[in-house]
Formats: sequence, structure tokens, C-alpha cells
Amino acid sequence: MPNQDKQPLAGEMLQGTLDLLILQTLVPGAAHGHTIAHVIEHRSEEVLQVEHGSLYPALHRLENRGWIASFWGTSENNRKARYYRLTADGRKQLREQTSRWDRLAQAVNRVLRPAEE
Amino acid sequence: MRWMRFLRREQWDEERAEEIDSYLAIETADNIARGMPPEEARRAARRKFGNPTMVREEIYRMNSVGFIETLWQDFGYGLRVLRKSPMTTVVALLSLALGIGATTAIFSVVYGVLIAPYPYARPNEIWAPAIRSATNPQQGRRDYHASEYLELEKLPAFAQVMATSPENQLLTGDRAPEDFTAVSVTGNAFQFLGVEPILGRTILPSDVNASGQAEPVVVLSYGAWQRLFNGSADALGKALLLDDKPQTVIGVMPPRFGWWTNAGGWLPMQMDRHRARTVFPIVRLRPGVSKAVGEQQLQALHLRLAKDTPAYYPKEGFITFLSNYMDITVAAGEMHASLRLLFGAVGFLLLIACANVANLQLARATARAREISLRMSLGAGRARVMRQLLTESIVLSLTGGALGVGFAVVLTRMIVALMPEFYVPNEARMTINGWVLLFSLGVSVATGILFGLAPALQCSRLDLVETLKDAGKGSGVRAATGKTRNLLVVAEVALSVILLVGASLTIRGFVNLQRTELGFQPERVLMVGIQLPAKRYATYEKRVAFAQNILQRAASLPGVQSAAIGNGGLPFGGPQSAYSLEGHPAAESQPIRVGLISADYQRTLGIPLISGRGLTEQEVAQGEPVALINRAAGKLWPAGESPIGKRIGLELLAKPPGGALPAQRLARSDASSFVTVAGILGDTKNDGLEKPSAPAVFVPYTLMAPTGRTLAVRTRGSPMLLLNAVRQQVREVDKDQPISRPITLEEVLGFETVQPRFNMALLSFFGGLGLALAAAGIFSVLNYSVVRRTHEIGIRMAMGAERRDVLALMLGTGARLVMAGLAVGLAGSIVLARFLRSEIFQVPVTDPVALLGVAMLLSMAALLACLLPARRAAGLDPMAALRHE
Repeated sequence: MPNQDKQPLAGEMLQGTLDLLILQTLVPGAAHGHTIAHVIEHRSEEVLQVEHGSLYPALHRLENRGWIASFWGTSENNRKARYYRLTADGRKQLREQTSRWDRLAQAVNRVLRPAEE
Repeated sequence: MRWMRFLRREQWDEERAEEIDSYLAIETADNIARGMPPEEARRAARRKFGNPTMVREEIYRMNSVGFIETLWQDFGYGLRVLRKSPMTTVVALLSLALGIGATTAIFSVVYGVLIAPYPYARPNEIWAPAIRSATNPQQGRRDYHASEYLELEKLPAFAQVMATSPENQLLTGDRAPEDFTAVSVTGNAFQFLGVEPILGRTILPSDVNASGQAEPVVVLSYGAWQRLFNGSADALGKALLLDDKPQTVIGVMPPRFGWWTNAGGWLPMQMDRHRARTVFPIVRLRPGVSKAVGEQQLQALHLRLAKDTPAYYPKEGFITFLSNYMDITVAAGEMHASLRLLFGAVGFLLLIACANVANLQLARATARAREISLRMSLGAGRARVMRQLLTESIVLSLTGGALGVGFAVVLTRMIVALMPEFYVPNEARMTINGWVLLFSLGVSVATGILFGLAPALQCSRLDLVETLKDAGKGSGVRAATGKTRNLLVVAEVALSVILLVGASLTIRGFVNLQRTELGFQPERVLMVGIQLPAKRYATYEKRVAFAQNILQRAASLPGVQSAAIGNGGLPFGGPQSAYSLEGHPAAESQPIRVGLISADYQRTLGIPLISGRGLTEQEVAQGEPVALINRAAGKLWPAGESPIGKRIGLELLAKPPGGALPAQRLARSDASSFVTVAGILGDTKNDGLEKPSAPAVFVPYTLMAPTGRTLAVRTRGSPMLLLNAVRQQVREVDKDQPISRPITLEEVLGFETVQPRFNMALLSFFGGLGLALAAAGIFSVLNYSVVRRTHEIGIRMAMGAERRDVLALMLGTGARLVMAGLAVGLAGSIVLARFLRSEIFQVPVTDPVALLGVAMLLSMAALLACLLPARRAAGLDPMAALRHE
């Protein structure tokens, strides 16, 4: 596990990857920016550490593509917050992107494994 | 709805800001919950988030098409920069407006005359067949006999064939008799040409029935409709009495339609094999058929026809070719050459304007070097800075272009007014239309890039540290821009010299033309063309009797010094004929001009008799076989042999030409083809003003009886006073006989010089503009150099330089540039003239008067342009100059 390497991969994150992570985060249901940022950070065990601000342009981009939709709601502690949810298009994208990512990861692994041994 | 984000960006941005606030609030609250003190919690939240402004900017940029966004910014910034230095901007805008305006105006003329002169459908696909003699390319024909046309129509290479046959008919009825141009066309003509009428209908194939009989209908030109019916819609269904035959008006064509006439009308063509008049066919090729194939089929047809009717074809053999309609009517001729030249001239003018503006922009850029290096050190990329500078240039050039279009509207009107109309198809329209506007837009943008490039490159290559250290004096740019600016001025001067040389050559040519020895005296001569209707004056006797009658009446009018009858445009026109000198073997030679004259011919036109005697009244009345020749014709005989008393044979007298217009010219039935030379006249210009006189022979007009004659009277007072008297005499002889618009011989001469005058006027105008622009360029460079060198001048003065030394220093700087430009320009014009070799210049490019004139004019203008800044430099206060930063 990459725990021994505490160096976060900030900045190196591929744009497509961030999009994929956001979509994945929204699968259980709508969430606001703050939640999304923290979920991504925790799930990746703090490796994928980004400035949370950089999440917002990504959200905006996804919304422009019609993969997510947004609405104003109230946060857990009664603050006004903008919520995002997956659209049908978004779900489809997520499925396609995930399988592509899997194939890519497998391919990369096949190349790298001999070197590790 | 998503596109709305481009419009509602402000609102979007607010929402983002709110969203970010909401994140920060939630994160801060979480941090506090984790036990952080509030201040610390807020700071940690901000740290976690990153830079909110950058996030907002990123989203903002996402909502705009980035390029356009920054373009808009640059645009606005460019406008502000331009407004900040109004003087420079005004000069630059004026330069551009003149350059772009002149180019646009000439393009609108080129477009109207050369590119799209016709309203017809696909005019470039119309071909006219022609037969040319195998040995003499000057001889041939484009007209066909009806029987030939009916065969030509069937050739498989042609998709469409139509024929035209013009004729003058006498329009009578309850109006003044008028010579009406009635153009007969085949029934399919209007479909072939593809132009719709504005009223009624056009001629249709059904207007000519199967046996070739034509319906008695006429389609009016717009001009005839206005003239005869005052443009009233009632014209439809009215009848016109043409050659005593009523023709019903069925339609009116738009103003921009003038197939063979723009003042007459079109009749369906009577079509049978024995039609007397020949017709002019034009064709469209079948798709996929090449011009060569068409020519082959046509040549084969001609060869076959030549067997049946050898008289119709050149006996020495012939070739057949198709010429494109656009080439026949526009591409050839002086107007084409002159427009090409003018287009080149305005191109130069535009380049001068560009150089001028580039100079101004360079000066501005130098002044802004600090601003730009600051921008670059703050992270602006080279490409970004270049783009911004280019955008500024384009803002400038587009504004200049818009002003230029206004200038072009005025200039185009001027050009059209100056334009010799008969060199231009009557359907050509010269206006600022969409294509022209598109052209000037393109030119503006290209210009902006062209003059913007130098300053932009210069700036983006700035040495940042040096420039910033230099506190705005911009030494990093100085040496380099100084050189560029000098080069630009030299180029500008050189270009304007070339323009001026062109202008001065046309001026010289025009002056020469005006001074040409005409050989006759054109003052106070009134000429009236009389065209007898061939049918009403069918015999030789009737025609000669009419001419005699008119001549006698005209000669006895009070105020008339003498009167003569002749043919064509008197000194200029006249038929040509092959000839032979009796007692000499026939030589291969050009035909001789034949003038049909009355006894007072040389007295009326003021032509001196060199030797021998003139024709007597008696000889003319009797139609004796006597002749006068001009001096040029006298040289046809071997040197030393006097032509007087010798006989010359004229083919014209033996067999009046049939050709296109048979039965128009009758010869005296017993006429011999030989005439005896009685005297020699001085040479008169008879082949255009530039060319030497061609050999001519003058015989009594009674030897032949063409339908068209010209009456000339030399008056004591103003010739125009006699106009009505002459008309009255004609009316008394035959009340139904129309006469053409009387014209003075001086007016005729005016026509001969109208094209040279057009070239001279426009080239001089453009030359003047170029000179003004170049002078402005010299001024601005010198003026700037005074500012730049103020400190240096101060030092010079402190060390003892007198004012006049400073003046000389500055004038010397200017003079070096001007001399360099002058040398390059003169060399350039000589090189260019070799390439051009245009007939527009009647004097050689090395003409010393023209070149000297240009050098003088340019030096004067340059001196004026230098003097102002030089005086300013000389007037500097040394102490102030030294303190000048």
C-alpha cells in the first residue's frame, strides 16, 4: 500500500482522472463541493491531495458537458451550498471512463511489473 | 440553456463566488469543530482551498471563447492607446484612408469593368466564332450568312447558339423621326443571355414560327422606354412604327441590359436561308466539350461551306477560332491596360501608406517599450504581446479602412465621371458593392498585419532588463528601430518616385498629344452625320441627289464659310481599300484609306494643298475619275517620281464590299476603278493621334453612294449657333430624315484624347497622394529624430555649434534619406518600365524632362517636410535641451 509514500500527488493529477473521481463520488447521491473534495481526499488515503479550489473549475466543466447538474440546497449545518448530482449522461460517461481506466491501468501494470521485481 | 453562460457571465461569477464562500464557511466550521481557534480555522480553510480568485478566473475563462475574449480586451486597449496620442492616430488614419480608399475605388472599377461587366448568365462561358485569314491576321470575319448560321446551329459541340443582327431603322409616327437601333435576335436569345425583363416579357422562341416568320413585336431597352414612353407601364401593347412597319411593345429590359444597344430595342429575327443581312452568332459549349473540339467542328463546317460558296471565305486559306466573350469586349483595349496600370499604382500607394503607418507605430512602440517590457517581465508571453500589438494595428487599419470606403465612394464617382464611356461596356456598373467591401475589408486586415508586423517583432524582441533600467528611453530599441524607420522612409520615397515617374510620363505623353500637328484646323467646324434609310433611298441617283441638295443648302447658309461632304468622322474615318499603282507591279502592302469628298473638302477642314490642284466643282458633280492623295500616299510611288497625273486603281470602286452590310454602298454603275491623281494634300492625322498619317486617297463623293455621309461646315462664328439652321435644311429636304447629334471637330478630337486624359488624371492624382504621404513620412521621422536627439543637440550647442549648424545637421539627415529614396525610385522605375512596356506611356521612361520634374518636385516636398523639424531643432534652448531626458 502506498502508505509509506506520504508525498501527495498534488498537481500531477490528470484532468480526466479528477473528472472520473468526481463522477464516482456522486454515484451514491448528490453532494456539495466541500463534501466531494473531502471524499476524494479520504478515499485515496490522502494521496490525491489537491487544492480543493481546483475542484470547482472541474465541476463547472462537467456541468457544461451535461454530465452533472447542480442546484442550491442547504448543507448539514444549515448553510447555503451548491449541490451536484449525476445526470443520465454522467452515469454513462462514468461507466465508459471506468472501463477505459481499467484497461489503461492493466496495460500500465503489465509494463511496470517486471521492473518492480 | 448552456450557451446562456456566455451572456450571463456576471451572474455566473457571483454564483461561483457564493459557492466558494460556502465551501470556506463549511471548512472553517469543520476546523473549529476539530478544535482550532476561529482565526486559525479560517486560515487553514483558505490554505486548503487555494487561491479563490484564480479559481474564479479559471471558470470565467471557461465561459468565454478565450481567443475572442482577449481579442476584445486587446481591441479595447488598442482603442485607448490610439486615443492617447491623437495626432499620430489622425495622421495614421488619414494615410490608411487614402491608401485603402484609392485601392478600393480602383478595385470597384476593375470589378465593374473587368471582372463582372455583364448582367448575362455565365458570361465567361459565351464564345464567339470567328474566321481569320491564314496569311493576314487582320482580315477575317465574325459574321455569318443565314444559311451558314443554320448549319452552325446543328454542330454537336454547342449546347446553345444564338445570333444577333443590328440594324438602324427609321422610327416614325406621331413623333420626330429618329434613327432607332433595332437589334434582331434569334428567338432563344433572352434564354441564352438569361436576363429577365422589368416589364412584360422577352422575345421567346415562339415569336419566330417554323417557317422563320417573326412576330411583329419589340422589346424595348430601358433607355428607349424612358425616352419614348417616359417610363410608363402603358407602353406595353403600344405599337412603334419602325421602317413603316408597326411593332408591338411586349416588354422592357432593366437599365443594366444593353445587348448591342442600350437606347434601342430587340426584335425577333426573321430567319430564312436567303436573309440578306449577315448575323453574329455566339455559342455556349456543351458540358465537357473543350474549346478545341468546338473549334475543330467549326473549322470542318467552314471547310465544307467554303466548297459551296468560296466567295465567302478568304482564298488564301483560313483558320477558325472561338474567342471568349469577355476577352473580345473587355480584356483587349486601352481600358484594360490602363486599369491594370492603375491597380498597380494604387498598390504602391497602399504600400506607401503602410510604410507611413509602420513608422508611426514604431515611434509609438518605442515610446511604449517600457510598458511592454514591464508586461513581459510580469509574465506576458512574446506571442501574447505580439498579438496585442497586431490587434492594435488591425484596429487602426480597420478604422482607416472604414474611412477609406467613404473616400472610395467619392473617388469612384470621380473616376466614373472621368471615364471614357465608349471604352467600357455599357452594362458595366462601377459601384461599391458587397464584393468591393469584402475586398477592402481584406485589404484593411492585410494592411494592419503588414504595417503592424515590424513594430510587433521589434517589441517582442526587447531586452527586458536594459529597457527597464533605461527608465523609458528605450535604448534597447533605439538603434534597431532607427534603422528600420530610415529604411521605411527610403522605401516610401522610392515608391512615390515610381508613382510620380508614371504620372509625369502620362502628363508628358498627353502634352505631346495636345501639341500633335494635326494637319487640319479643327476650330469652328460643325459635323453632322446623316444616315439615309437604305430602303427609302435605294438607288445611286437618289442618294447622290440628296447629298448634293444638302451640301448646296448648307453652303449657302449665312454664317457658313464653306461646307463639304465626306464619310465617317471626316479626318479620322473612311473605308479602306486594296490599291494598285498603274505602271508598277502590285506590292504586298497595307490597304489605303479612301475619302469620298466634295470640292471644298480641304478648304472646310483647313488642309493645305502641297502641289497640283484641288478637285473642281465640275469634277465632283460629274463624278470624274480624279483624286487627291495625301503626302504619305505620295511616298507609295518610287522616290523622284511625281504622282501627279499618275493613275491609281482602287478595288473599292470596282467592287463595293458586300460583307456585313450589303446594299448600303452603291457605286456609280459605269465607274472605273482607276482614278488620276490631280494634287497632293498635306498629311492629316487619320490613324489616331499617336500614329503617323496613313496613306489616303480622296475621290469625288459622287463615285459612290453609301447610305451614311458626314456633312461638315466651317462657320464664321460659334459652330453651335448653326446647329438648328442645318437641321432645318435637312428637314426641308426630307421631313422624315433624322440626323445624328451634331458635333464639333474639336469634340471629336476630345474623344481621341479621353483615354490618355483619364490615365493622366488618375496617375497624377495617385502620384500626388503618394508624394503627400511620403512627405508626411519624412516629416514624422525627422520630427521624431529631433525629439530623440534633443540631448545630443544640446551638447553640440553647448560645445559651440551654431543654430545654422544644427539646421544643416538635421537637413542633412533628411536629405540623405530623400536622396537614397530618389535614387532607388528612379532606378526602380526604369526597371519597372522595361517590364511594363505599356502603350500607356507614349514617351520613353528615360525622358529627361519627366525625370527631372519628378526629382525637383520630390526635393521640394522633402525640403518642406524637413524644414519644420529642422527649425525646431535649431530653435532649441541649449540649457533646456541638455536637461532633456
